[in-house]
Amino acid sequence: MRDVFTLSLIASTIRLATPLVLAALGGLFSERSGVINIALEGKMLAGAFTAAAVTYAADTKLGMGNASPWVGLLGGLVAGLFIAFIYAVSCIRFKADQVVSGAAINILMLGIPGFLSGAFFLSSGSTPQLPKDHLLPQSPVVIAITILILVALIWYVLYKTPFGLRLRSVGEKPEAADAAGVSVSKLRYSGVLLAGMLAGIGGAYLSIGQSSLFTRNMTAGRGFIALAALIFGKWRPVQTLLACLLFGFTEAVSIQMQGAVKLPSGEDIPVQFINMVPYVLTIVVLAGFIGSSRPPRALGVPYQKEK
Amino acid sequence: MKYKVFVLIALLGFMAFALSGCGRSAAAEDPSKIRVGIVFDIGGKDDRSFNAAAWEGVQRAAKELPIILRDIEPGTPNAIEPAMRAFAERNFDLIIGVGFAQAPIMEQVAKDYPNIQFAIIDGVSQLPNVASLVFKEHEGSYLVGILAAKASRTGTIGFLGGMDIGLIHRFAKGYEEGAKSVNPNIRVIENYVGVTDSAWNNPGKGKELSLAQIGKGADVIFTAAGNSGLGAFDAVEQQGKQNGRATHFVIGVDSNQNMVKPGFVLTSMVKRVDNAVYDIVHQVVNKRFSPGLHVFGLDKDGVGYAMDDFNKDLVPPEAIQEAEAAKAKIIGGEIKVTDAMGS
Repeated sequence: MRDVFTLSLIASTIRLATPLVLAALGGLFSERSGVINIALEGKMLAGAFTAAAVTYAADTKLGMGNASPWVGLLGGLVAGLFIAFIYAVSCIRFKADQVVSGAAINILMLGIPGFLSGAFFLSSGSTPQLPKDHLLPQSPVVIAITILILVALIWYVLYKTPFGLRLRSVGEKPEAADAAGVSVSKLRYSGVLLAGMLAGIGGAYLSIGQSSLFTRNMTAGRGFIALAALIFGKWRPVQTLLACLLFGFTEAVSIQMQGAVKLPSGEDIPVQFINMVPYVLTIVVLAGFIGSSRPPRALGVPYQKEK
Repeated sequence: MKYKVFVLIALLGFMAFALSGCGRSAAAEDPSKIRVGIVFDIGGKDDRSFNAAAWEGVQRAAKELPIILRDIEPGTPNAIEPAMRAFAERNFDLIIGVGFAQAPIMEQVAKDYPNIQFAIIDGVSQLPNVASLVFKEHEGSYLVGILAAKASRTGTIGFLGGMDIGLIHRFAKGYEEGAKSVNPNIRVIENYVGVTDSAWNNPGKGKELSLAQIGKGADVIFTAAGNSGLGAFDAVEQQGKQNGRATHFVIGVDSNQNMVKPGFVLTSMVKRVDNAVYDIVHQVVNKRFSPGLHVFGLDKDGVGYAMDDFNKDLVPPEAIQEAEAAKAKIIGGEIKVTDAMGS
């Protein structure tokens, strides 16, 4: 056990939780405004691919050197924004079913990066590997501080500004907000677009922070875990952060446990069991400590203005 | 108005896709040429490793032999069978399946098309129209195990596998035995990225596992994990260099990966999938296709370790001598490397 609980466990937790936190906080804006966001996975993939591709181009074609990962990060943000815009138009303007269009975006993003990487890099789904100095900072301290500031900012925006109040009101009772003169669709657009930006950054961190390239479907379900963390965190910023940290922690523990913890008989614990740890822990925590979680009342319901 | 614009754009986009599809199928195909279809594994042909080696083999064949080559990269495991059947429906002469996961699928498809020749890499089939191309990964892994133990200063080395399956255990076991032949007390930390096929495409987790191994003292890590293995390359690079020499090393797999992070890659356990694939295409072109088991071991240079300009300063001659001696003994039958799959 001493092999498992080390200082590097904390660092690993922070690294693993970061993409989740960013995507989940994005989902928070969207869902509090009343738009379900199962497309987080697709937006992360869009952000991850674009960030890696832009960083590579900025580095090799434009010779931007150490600035290139930041340009890449911006690229990831814009890609998330772009995908979110498509999603917003279909859900808000055309009142399409939010779950179906979200699923469509996720499926689309399994294919598009492969298609584009074929056009740009003559590859099929991955980008060239980036050198180590042209990646985002990975120091756990820097990341942790950034995340804490971000959570504080989001908490402030959501609870202490008129924008936050209105955003929450259109997610709870859009009719009332509309009657009070608030534009429901404008607020929902901003909620979904903010979600896209944050999820895009989350994806970018995955490809040009944690790794050094994009590979096909590299999010491996992280978008859905972020969504679970959001529900788990009762659609509140601080609780969502804690939920993401819990997911990151359980995954970090399972990583450290592999090959370090043995059965009493001296044999290795099967990898299948170790990979179960995060999920079992999650169920235990969900069932035991959290209590009921109530979604925003108008979540998933397109708003039809009364004529 | 806005509706109309939206519909128009959607239609235009659709037409662009449809037209680009037409362009391809319109290209006339010479009927006298042998048609070869290859279905890749989930890792895709850019994994710089296993699939990349197969891709290199068929590309070389397409350049040197009169064949028409088509490839499919299935995005999900469910897409493998339709891909294989699509080639069969169009009467391809040879269909190559890349990876153990395709063996049971090919078994079904090959039964339905007895007149088409099939080849499976890393899988075994008894059917009369299937050639099974298998490798003695344990033998090659034994040799890189020797090189790893020679390079390790901490007495702890790591193994990073992709999916936790028998085929990858074969790499792990051979590596461990090779390392223990040099230093019986060496500690080998053995980790796997996961238990589903997404384990081949998760470099983030591959890196975290490698960092955990480094934290436990490992200073050489052998990867057999497809794209996830690239995370191990990042992890050792992050440890930096001391006096111009890397403090931690990674050992690549399947393709020669020495150039991926020069200076940090001790060597690569190459599996000459490219040669095996080229040979089978060559056989079909010359109408000499032989079904059944084709085993590629150290004796036929089907597996081995890669030495080139990128790593010649990292591996001392004495270590190479030891590996070469072991190689001769394995070929001569003096050393028996355990095959974790037991065949």
